[in-house]
Amino acid sequence: MGEVEGAGSETAKVRPIQKIIDAHVTFTTTSAIHDFLKKTPLQDLINWGRKNSLWFLTQPMGCCGIEMICTGAPHYDTDRFGIIPRCSPRQADVMIISGYITKKYMPALKLLWDQMPEPKWVICMGDCSISGGPFWESYSTIINTEKYFPVDIYIPGCPPRPEQLIQGFVELQKKITAKQDRTQKGDT
Amino acid sequence: MNTTGELTLNMLKEKFQVTEMRVESPNRVWARIAPDKILAIAKFLSNELEFDHLSSIAGADYGEALEAVYQITAYSHGIVLTLKAKVPKSNPVIDSLTPVYWNAAWYEREAYELLGISFRGNPNLAPLVLPAEMMGEYPLRKDYKGYPNPT
Ligand code: SF4
Repeated sequence: MGEVEGAGSETAKVRPIQKIIDAHVTFTTTSAIHDFLKKTPLQDLINWGRKNSLWFLTQPMGCCGIEMICTGAPHYDTDRFGIIPRCSPRQADVMIISGYITKKYMPALKLLWDQMPEPKWVICMGDCSISGGPFWESYSTIINTEKYFPVDIYIPGCPPRPEQLIQGFVELQKKITAKQDRTQKGDT
Repeated sequence: MNTTGELTLNMLKEKFQVTEMRVESPNRVWARIAPDKILAIAKFLSNELEFDHLSSIAGADYGEALEAVYQITAYSHGIVLTLKAKVPKSNPVIDSLTPVYWNAAWYEREAYELLGISFRGNPNLAPLVLPAEMMGEYPLRKDYKGYPNPT
C-alpha cells in the first residue's frame, strides 16, 4: 500500500512539469507554429517569400501543355516573377492543370497532387480543365475539376497564350498577398 | 495497272464469298465479306497478293450488327483494300488477324474495348484505353447511355 501511495504522490508532482512539456511539444509541431504565425504580421513576410517563389510542376496534359512548357522557356523569362518550372512534384508549389483530365488519368493526377508539399495551389489552364472544353460531352473526361482540386485561378482560352498564364500567376500572387487564396483560407 | 484494284476484288470474289464490292478509284477498293472467312482471306492476301501491311482496324455500330473494318495495304503495289465484316450484336465474335498481321493485336484490343467486338484467337485482349471502372461499357456503341448530362 505504502509503495502505491508513494508512486501516486510522485505522479502528482510530475504532472505540472508534464503539462509544460506537452504544451511545448504541441507548440513546436509545424502546424501549431503555422497557426500561431498566421495571427502575426510575420505572415506577410512569409507570404512575400512564397508568392515570389511559385515553382510550378511541368506536367503537360493536353495541347495547353505546349503553351505551359514554352511559358517556362527563356523567351518569357518567368524567373523575374520567381516562377520556375520543376519536374518533380516534391519541389513544386503550383500545379497547372493544362488540358483535359481523362478518367483514366485522374488517379495519377491525384497522386501528383498528394505528393506536393504544402502550401500548394492549383491553376486551371484552358477550357478543358475548367469545364471540359471541346470534350464537354465525352464519355471519358472529367468536367468538374472544382470537385477534385481546390482551384484558385481559372485561365480561359483554347489554349491561353503564355502571357495569359503569366497573368494568372500574377493574379495568384495578388491573392496570396491578400491572404485570399484557398490554402490560407483553409478552403481545401 | 489501272485495274489492279479491280483485279484483286475479282480474285477475292472467285475464291471467297463476297457479298458487296465497289471500286472507288484504281487503287482504292472495298468489299463486304462473310465474317468467318476473314482469316482465310487475310492469309491469301498476305501470302499471294503481297498485301503486307495492315494499316488499321476500325469498327462501326449498325444497330443489330457490329462491323469490323479492315484497311489492308501493300508497299509494293499501293492498293488500299478495305474489308468489311458484319457480326451480329448478340454474338459479336470474329477471328483474330494476329496469326497473319502481328500489329492486329493492338487494333483488336481497342475495338474490343470500345465496341465490344470479340476477336477469337487474340493472345491478349487486355484493357488498353479505358479506365478500369468503365470496362465492359462499350462507349462507342450507339446505345451507350453513360454520357454526362449536367444541364
Ligand atoms: S483547352 Fe483547348 S488547347 Fe487546351 S487542352 Fe483543351 S482543347 Fe487543348
